[in-house]
Amino acid sequence: MITTNSYVLLSAILFTIGGIGFLVRRNVIVTLMSIEIMLNAVNLAFVAFNRAAPKGHTGQMFAFFLIAAEAAEVAVGLAIVIAMFRLRRSVRTDEADLLKN
Amino acid sequence: MLKFLTTLFPAGDFTLLAVILGMPLLGAIVNGIWGKRLGKQAVKTMALSVMGIAFAASALTFLLLDREASHHAPEHVKLSWLAWKWMSTTGGRGASVPIELKFSVDALSGVMMLVITGIGFLIHLYATAYMEKDPGFHRFFAYLNLFVFSMLVLVLADNLPVLFVGWEGVGLCSYLLIGFWYKNEANATAGKKAFIANRVGDFGLLCAMFLLVQYTGALDWNGIENGAGSLVSQADPMQVHLWPIGGGQFQGALSFLQPKTPLMITGATAVGLMLFLGCTGKSAQVPLYVWLPDAMAGPTPVSALIHAATMVTAGIYLVCRLSFVFVLSPFTMAVIAFTGAFTALFAATIALVQNDLKKVLAYSTVSQLGYMFLGVGVGAFSAGFFHVLTHAFFKACLFLGAGSVIHAMHARIHDDVKSQDMRYMGGLRKYMPYTFWTFGAATIAIIGFPLTSGFFSKDEILFKAFVNHPVNGAATHMGATAAAKLWQQPAWIGPVLWAMGFTTAVLTAFYMSRAFILTFFGDFKGWTIGKPSVPSHHDAHDAHGDDDDDEEHHHAEDLKKPGLAPHESPWQMTVPLMILGTLSLAGGFLNPALFAGMFKDHKPPMDHWLEPVFEEASKAIQVLPSAEAAHHKEWPLTGAAFVAFLIGTATAYYFYITSKGAPAKDMAGRAPWLHKLLLDKWRVDELYEATVWNGTDALADTAISADQGFFDAILGRLTALLAAAFGTLLRVVQNGVVHVYAGAMAVGVVFIGWFVVVPRADFVVQEQNGEYLLEAAPGMGYAYRWISEPANAKDAKDAKAGEEKFSPTSTQLKVHLDPDKSQTVRLEVKNAFGLGASRNVTLTRPPAEKPALEKLGAADLPTMKLGNN
Repeated sequence: MITTNSYVLLSAILFTIGGIGFLVRRNVIVTLMSIEIMLNAVNLAFVAFNRAAPKGHTGQMFAFFLIAAEAAEVAVGLAIVIAMFRLRRSVRTDEADLLKN
Repeated sequence: MLKFLTTLFPAGDFTLLAVILGMPLLGAIVNGIWGKRLGKQAVKTMALSVMGIAFAASALTFLLLDREASHHAPEHVKLSWLAWKWMSTTGGRGASVPIELKFSVDALSGVMMLVITGIGFLIHLYATAYMEKDPGFHRFFAYLNLFVFSMLVLVLADNLPVLFVGWEGVGLCSYLLIGFWYKNEANATAGKKAFIANRVGDFGLLCAMFLLVQYTGALDWNGIENGAGSLVSQADPMQVHLWPIGGGQFQGALSFLQPKTPLMITGATAVGLMLFLGCTGKSAQVPLYVWLPDAMAGPTPVSALIHAATMVTAGIYLVCRLSFVFVLSPFTMAVIAFTGAFTALFAATIALVQNDLKKVLAYSTVSQLGYMFLGVGVGAFSAGFFHVLTHAFFKACLFLGAGSVIHAMHARIHDDVKSQDMRYMGGLRKYMPYTFWTFGAATIAIIGFPLTSGFFSKDEILFKAFVNHPVNGAATHMGATAAAKLWQQPAWIGPVLWAMGFTTAVLTAFYMSRAFILTFFGDFKGWTIGKPSVPSHHDAHDAHGDDDDDEEHHHAEDLKKPGLAPHESPWQMTVPLMILGTLSLAGGFLNPALFAGMFKDHKPPMDHWLEPVFEEASKAIQVLPSAEAAHHKEWPLTGAAFVAFLIGTATAYYFYITSKGAPAKDMAGRAPWLHKLLLDKWRVDELYEATVWNGTDALADTAISADQGFFDAILGRLTALLAAAFGTLLRVVQNGVVHVYAGAMAVGVVFIGWFVVVPRADFVVQEQNGEYLLEAAPGMGYAYRWISEPANAKDAKDAKAGEEKFSPTSTQLKVHLDPDKSQTVRLEVKNAFGLGASRNVTLTRPPAEKPALEKLGAADLPTMKLGNN
């Protein structure tokens, strides 16, 4: 039987992968994908905890709201990526330095 | 009807005052905000109707007041209305001093209220025609209504702070209206001058308020009257120490500054002088009178209403209102009387030679205000106040007449200065009959033609100046014998003041006759009268010189070309003139002191009406040498005043009618320096400019160089350098790479997580008489376990106590220790993640200091313990 611990461990691994991806990659699209991985890792942890303590289904409710927030975030994020591409002809984060100096 | 109104408006909650106050305010708001869009007709209707309603309500209030007064005679009757409680402060004796927004009307303020709304209404009516072509029509009436509101607040206030609000309000309106034609720099400057000169006076008024709170513990009229006794206290700490300032002693190198006896004055003198400083500002007395002549830059109705009839009399009103404070200090009374007499004389000399019609009237106003202060300064409060009333009639009439003349002159002469110059006038009698007759009526009133209003009021002031002798009013508070030792005015003061007043009367008769003759008699000198050769495209009434394009054109106009004869003003202007002219002639019969014998109790109506107001103050006024002897002097002194009138008028007649101005030119030619000095107004403005102005400028320059040389140069740059250095350091961190920021955030999150996950066992120890209380610090999901064991660990029972379970509620531990014992306590903490932490502490109670006391039970005898320590 797969225990809650295994789910939480998987969630932690996914979160770490997402975090590292966010920190080291310079492509905005990949960065956004990394964020998605992190958020879904959290979702996974929520539903796993919900299975362990199903009273009130708080974990599931959180997961639903998180999915909705994710959708909005992706919409805004992609819009920013497009705007940035139009402006700089590039999707590399280290080139978005208009405010520097 | 009146009885019904008395129940509707009881004396304690007289809400009718809200109508009187609210109407002009409403007019000011409506005209000020929507006036431009409403159009002239609506502005006119609004301004006139609010003034009309306010006047009607004032008249009704006056009737109710009269009814109330006759029921409760001879008490001092007041109708009051408390709007709301404003604030509260702490007085000198620690008592709370409430400051309420309270208004009240009594005999004194009732008369003022009638003058303000009544004459105010007439002047509003006059202004509707006078200002007709002005583009700032709505602005003018908004200001004028606001002025009336402020003046009513000033007069109806029941305490000094509310009076001060009105006092500042009228100052503001005066400033706005003097600089009404603000495009001309001179007008704007005159407005500023008035405002700044008044600030000096306001400083005095504020100081007086502070002193009154300190001494009397009250700011409302009744409270000040009740607490006035402490103002005359002779005790050292109750006096105002002038030198050394605030008391104390100069020591060491400064000891030469220490006088043999400290210079002290009573609170009454300090309060009186400070109040009077405020009065000199508002009522244009030496040394702060300089703003009033310049204030004539405003439209003429403003000069009539604000700078002649109402606002400038606020100072006299204040002295009358607080007469019971002023009489406590004969010194202050003497200062007031002398300042008044000197100002009267001084301003009259300047008025002798001025060519500008409004300037003559302005100096005449300063001079007449001096008369009023002379009156109240010798304790003739009702005489001084009566002069306020008659002066309001005749001076308003004179100013409005002058305005009418200027209005006519403006038809051809568009220069503001020239159109007021009497050298261009003359012979207007033929063209402006109504203006001529009313101006004439007001002139004979001001110069004291027998049985006119000015004759009665001025004579009474001169008579009282001669015979009245203010003694120390402190007698009512501290007994006659104690008061007799205090400073008293010498007996020669009365005749000296009278002589100054008499001279002024001669000068007044001369310069007013001169102005009257130059304006209305002789030949017209403005322009050639005839049929205009080229029809002027300008209307005869034109904008009063604030329209730039027009003005340039007008200056080019040739005055030698024939033009239409000067025209009489429209009815809106002549009707107020006629009413005021009639009042100037007949107003004296409100208080004909000369014929006092004809009235009940030998009191003329006005004296009788005001009697309760001045009852307290009149106790301090003696008549020298005796009431009986003084009574016999009344007719001879009146005769002398009549002689003054004759001398002045006859001289003017001889100078300007018989000899057509030749002797005047002759005299000016013989002493050109004196003539120039008078024409330049004794060069007081230049003196102030050289001293006060330049002094302030020099101070400002010093401040600038200090600011630029030290603060900006050193401190400012040092600060900037410091900020720049830190900025350079921090810029390294702000490299603009998003991943570095995100990494920094991740590191931060790790630290916060570590802080949350790792438990800490912390507690604080409190001790009282051997009872130790240990309290653990809270944390997320913490459970606690206390293990306490004696230091020598021999007591097995204590050791067992440690085997309790972890509990989230046991945050406290109490331990009792005897003296000279110690114990080790251990706290173990476990958090939600099952991680633990612990901390040990050894509690040691120090041995008792004195075993002998220990036996007695030192803890129960704290005082003994203290004594031995």
